[in-house]
Amino acid sequence: MVPGTGVLPALPALRGLLPRGGLARGSVLAVPEFGLLCLALAAGASAAGAWCGIAGVPEAGLAAAVGTGLDVERTLLVPDPGPAWPQVVASLLDGCELVLLRPPVTVPVQVRRRLEAVLRRAGGVLLVAGDWPGAQVHLRVITQRWTGLGDGHGRVRACCAEVTADGRGEAALTRTRWLWLPAEDGGVAVADPVDIPVPDIPATRMQPGLRAVSAG
Amino acid sequence: MRPNADSEPQRIMVVRCPPLCGPDASPAGPQAARLFERVIGAVTGFCPNVEATELGVCAFGARGPARYFGGEGALASKIIAAVAELSVESRIGVADGMFAALLAARRAEPIDPAEPVLVIPPGGTAGFLAAQPVSVLADQDLAGLLKRLGLLTLGDLAALPASDVASRFGDAGEAVHRLARGLDLRPLAARPPAHDLSVAREFDPPEPLAEPVVFAAKTLAEQLHAGLAARGLTCVRVQVRVTWADGEESSRLWRHDGLLTAAGVADRVRWQLDGRPATPPDGQYAQGGIGMLRLVPDQVVRATGHQLALWGEAMVSDRVARAAMRVQAMLGHEAVLRPVTGGGRNVSEQVSHVPFGEKREPLLAAGPPWPGRIAGAAPGVVYPAAREAEVTDDAGRLVTVTGRCVLSAVPARLVIGPEPPRRITAWAGPWPLSERWWDAVAARRRARFQLATDDGRVWLAVVRDSRWLIEAGYW
Repeated sequence: MVPGTGVLPALPALRGLLPRGGLARGSVLAVPEFGLLCLALAAGASAAGAWCGIAGVPEAGLAAAVGTGLDVERTLLVPDPGPAWPQVVASLLDGCELVLLRPPVTVPVQVRRRLEAVLRRAGGVLLVAGDWPGAQVHLRVITQRWTGLGDGHGRVRACCAEVTADGRGEAALTRTRWLWLPAEDGGVAVADPVDIPVPDIPATRMQPGLRAVSAG
Repeated sequence: MRPNADSEPQRIMVVRCPPLCGPDASPAGPQAARLFERVIGAVTGFCPNVEATELGVCAFGARGPARYFGGEGALASKIIAAVAELSVESRIGVADGMFAALLAARRAEPIDPAEPVLVIPPGGTAGFLAAQPVSVLADQDLAGLLKRLGLLTLGDLAALPASDVASRFGDAGEAVHRLARGLDLRPLAARPPAHDLSVAREFDPPEPLAEPVVFAAKTLAEQLHAGLAARGLTCVRVQVRVTWADGEESSRLWRHDGLLTAAGVADRVRWQLDGRPATPPDGQYAQGGIGMLRLVPDQVVRATGHQLALWGEAMVSDRVARAAMRVQAMLGHEAVLRPVTGGGRNVSEQVSHVPFGEKREPLLAAGPPWPGRIAGAAPGVVYPAAREAEVTDDAGRLVTVTGRCVLSAVPARLVIGPEPPRRITAWAGPWPLSERWWDAVAARRRARFQLATDDGRVWLAVVRDSRWLIEAGYW
């Protein structure tokens, strides 16, 4: 449990994107699609001692989440919350300070209002992987450039991602940052502009017969 | 003092329905429970005091009913015929004591498939047990140890002095030594407890759904164990009594050697409730709901020091536990999971999930090295079930991998399920992985790839049995 300040801590690399340098209690953050960004947003709070509930995301890659700093000791998973998912999320919010949710359907306005009320009362943070029109902050990954992978050789090493955040009120100003998401060590870091990989130039494809690299 | 500690065990008849028990039960979960409920109903026609030892197995004292129906063999044939009317096969074993009777029921079929009854005559139990391998013991760790020590059968074990076995193997050894000699696992407590140790919960208004009742059963079971433990007792059987709103009562005895954990009791309550078909589609019970649930300890014995470890560790705060258990009450015990990181070569194996409230242990230990696991960043998206995909070359032909890991062509396009095709901009692989090649059933051979596509994503793909599957995504 994180002592009762107004914000839950975020990873240092993500602070520049968030209006108060953290996840404001009682607020909703939305990311259009589930991915490492969602897990990284939860990781800072989890590392600081918050319990984190993940509902409706059976494919959450927890090994990657651990790399960003999430503590699995304090993680609850509800892979399939079923049709009663609003109650499940409300229950989770009573125990966990941060709940990552991918709603199974488009969320009706009344359900959204009710959950937001629960959220304000419990003082938690709801992280939505999907659409949530009333969210205080909307984050999205605009560009992803992977390093390490070649044409038949190498392996994925890191990804340089351009992330933007905008929203309502104090978040109204659009912020954009280049991040290593993930960096080579699996963590999240701010990317130095000189390191940002140049976009792929469509190279002339080699013919299979000409390949010099052995396939084994 | 242990009055009547080593008295002759009772004659026990065990009815075992192979299709309903064990890991390869053909109808799954609730359906098996429902069928089993009817089997117990049929057996109850011959003897009112039937106890269920696990799903698919029930037992009762054979002396009285056998005398009434003209002998143990005649009774067994009648029961098999009655159960067969429900289109369920059954096997019957009769012996002195529960353990021998359970084994006899398991052995009954191989001896004579036409007449699947094995009666061990009174006094013959020790001889029957002596020939059984130690692997029949429930404690597989201990069985393995005994085997390595050269004690291959229960007879070898029984021949050792009890005090030596107890001093070498402790409580567990003493218990199996008793079993091997044909005695009951634990002597019955001499007197029934003076206090009523049963626990009950009333539902007002009657609860129309099973899940909240199963949840309440977990709390009740904890109360029951706490009450028994305070008096230094534990019970071999638990009677689960469910009273329906219309006054009907359903009562079952559930036996468990060792100790039923709270979750174990809850499972048995669920099986018992599953025996009542709910009316679809709202899943409510025709009897108007459940009015009362009562757990009664039966066959109370002295506790020998089993501890109930409800939580794997103590760090879960009350607030979180309450929230998690409330969700479990809504969706079931298995619906709330806690992840545990472990080892393994495949991304899907490296994190295992344990239901909340159970001991957290990884499926594969993280300790040993796992050569062949993909180094570098872990994927942020790991599909619980791999997704079907197709990878084709520039000409649209499927890319294949030979047994020696040679690619037929350069992968150019990736189609995942019904999604529109993606152009592959970079790729690496194949990285071969051959696991458990020594085991014909579990052996797996696969070639793994990383594929970057034009939408900025990287996919972890595998080729298995000439099929392309997407296991994970890096984004």
